[in-house]
Amino acid sequence: MSLTILLLGLGVGVLVGLLGIGGGVVLVPAMVYFLRMDQHLAQGTSLFILLPPIGLGALREYWKEGQVDLRAGIFCALGMLFGALAGSLIALPIPSRELKGLFGCFLVFAALLLWGKAGREGQEFVDKGERADG
Amino acid sequence: MAKGIVRDIGVFGAACVCGVASGMFGIGGGVLLVPLLGLLFSYGQHRAQGTSLVALIPPTGLLGLLAYARHDLVSWRTGLLLIPGVFLGGIAGGVLARKLKPERMRHVFAGILLIVGVWQALSAWVR
Repeated sequence: MSLTILLLGLGVGVLVGLLGIGGGVVLVPAMVYFLRMDQHLAQGTSLFILLPPIGLGALREYWKEGQVDLRAGIFCALGMLFGALAGSLIALPIPSRELKGLFGCFLVFAALLLWGKAGREGQEFVDKGERADG
Repeated sequence: MAKGIVRDIGVFGAACVCGVASGMFGIGGGVLLVPLLGLLFSYGQHRAQGTSLVALIPPTGLLGLLAYARHDLVSWRTGLLLIPGVFLGGIAGGVLARKLKPERMRHVFAGILLIVGVWQALSAWVR
């Protein structure tokens, strides 16, 4: 069981670096299905995993390429700190079953957003010039 | 300069929305932040991902975690076992991302999310 968990972490980590995400979006369903956790427990555990700077190694690789906007990143961190508190207060009273369904809907929404962005890849170079004055 | 401040406020507002999703669904929020940075603020994909990783370095989920912990909804042992793997895998993924063109990866990932999402919603609401 412990080995399964370790390997699961490794697999999720690759996605963290590859896609610049926290990994919770994969971890939560993985814990629900492979470790038979309840939806709330999986979400709480996922927030715990995100507490240490697990993305630091991945961030270093992006930093080397100059692909980091530190200032915007700090504003994002601030916004997410307070947003997360509000979100958890919304989630806790919702029954686990309903929450699982909502999580599913959120995943579909996130998938569509990610897919949509892929179509705009051509703009990348224009954006670089525009950012210079920022 | 004023334009910069307006943009900062915009980024902050978008991040607040991502934060609500983060606390509600126990995720980092990056999965929402990366596409939003791209769509609303015209970030290139790699830059959006690098910036999202900055936002994930401080313990942004701390207040959310405390709320879950108060209801005893955290499995500390499983969490501790998952952390080293996620960290090491993250380095590998970061190296890979520098070499790969990310659009195909993102399509694959979006496809997986879509399937898992539909499956979760169905298993919760359809008997």
